[in-house]
Amino acid sequence: MNAAEVAAAVDEGAVVLDLRPPRPFATGHLPGALTMQFNRADLGDRAELQLPQGIRLVVHAEPEPIAKVAVEILGEEGFEVLGHLEGGLAAWREAGHPTETLPLIDVDELHDELDRYTVVDAREGFEHRHGHVPGAVLFPPGDAWERADELPAGTPLAVVCGDQTRSAYVASVLRRRDRDAVLVMGGMVDWLERGFETERTAAPAA
Amino acid sequence: MIFKQFRYEPLFQASYLLGCSRAREGFVVDPIADLGTDHYVLEAADQGLDVVGVLETHVHADFVSCARELAEMTGASHYLHEAAEGLVRYEFTPLADGQTLTVGQVDVKAIHTPGHTPEHTCFLVTDRARTDEPWAVLTGDSLFVGDVGRPDLLVGDEVLDVFSETERAELQFRSIHERLFTLPEHVEVFPNHYGGSTCGGVNMSGKASSTIWFEKRFNLALSQPDVAAFDDFVRETAKPFPESYQWIKSYNLGLITKDELQGAMRT
Repeated sequence: MNAAEVAAAVDEGAVVLDLRPPRPFATGHLPGALTMQFNRADLGDRAELQLPQGIRLVVHAEPEPIAKVAVEILGEEGFEVLGHLEGGLAAWREAGHPTETLPLIDVDELHDELDRYTVVDAREGFEHRHGHVPGAVLFPPGDAWERADELPAGTPLAVVCGDQTRSAYVASVLRRRDRDAVLVMGGMVDWLERGFETERTAAPAA
Repeated sequence: MIFKQFRYEPLFQASYLLGCSRAREGFVVDPIADLGTDHYVLEAADQGLDVVGVLETHVHADFVSCARELAEMTGASHYLHEAAEGLVRYEFTPLADGQTLTVGQVDVKAIHTPGHTPEHTCFLVTDRARTDEPWAVLTGDSLFVGDVGRPDLLVGDEVLDVFSETERAELQFRSIHERLFTLPEHVEVFPNHYGGSTCGGVNMSGKASSTIWFEKRFNLALSQPDVAAFDDFVRETAKPFPESYQWIKSYNLGLITKDELQGAMRT
């Protein structure tokens, strides 16, 4: 699909799924795009677990061979995939279409300004229980779409996971839902490496 | 770190993807057109790696390289040793002996090892997430498992060939003994070829990795007492020449187009 066709599809409700790494996604992506990490091993499974049912997708991945394979994988998983953006972000911009950004912070910035943020932990319950940023709200990617409105209003949301893979997806969902979300690069691996404080919660009663 | 060896069995060729799993950046080494650019792009994406460098140990004569296309597709730099300047007819990023490329916690250091070709370089790999000791060396067509890269794949042009077969044999002997066999013996060896490859001789092992320790003790070519004996041994144990090697080399040097190469290989 060329840029005009993608823009028309988006106007009619299609969702752009951006499969580039978090950093290029953050620097510029199609308005409202969700992002997931591409890999052939389990992209289909993760998409099925995380993406809302019944949506129509347009794939954005670079370079082109990744986009073609992703369209196949998502199609086999039962998603309605309209196609992929030919020529990538360069073609989109050249056609004069707008882009959006996702603000990035590192763990030092999060640590220094922890009071400013509501920390959203985009890992699973067992990981969160083992140790999380003090005050972090458990918010697994599988629930993100349904629960986006449950997060407290008023403070910006800082989304964290182990690195920046699941958190990038959750941050993209939150931004699509007009929440003020930033992505914490490096995640808990960097947080722990710095020796910053973590909080543990007791396992829930069986 | 991430380290993958890809084997293209029809040509007994090994190419590599390596990188830092935290920085999410990596290098492809010696990509082969028979596997194709998509293969490397997808393998890198599977590992979450952004390809920031396409490295070649040398300008190959026995298989068609896809390094130029892969670099263009990914926006990565295409690296060759600086001795390739004046030999190849396309833009590349020159590497000096001892120069280190870094992605996250992974270092790749160029070790110039002329012999098989004048610009041949090995890549010493260190994963600083584990230790500052080097872990592996990609030896291209210098040190093979059980054998060495042959010194006689010339295109028949004095300027492009730079060295004669005899000079290449001497350089190969010295490069391996002085630059590779002086590395810590635990260092793992990952060659560009194995088994039936015609880039070396009959003693090349079908096993596509080894260590410096093992090759220092059990590599027959390198057990020869001096350069003259090594030269004789390598010639006596060489396999037939690789198919169409002068045409393939000419394409990889940028002297002829892919269409011209395909035309030549059909005749």
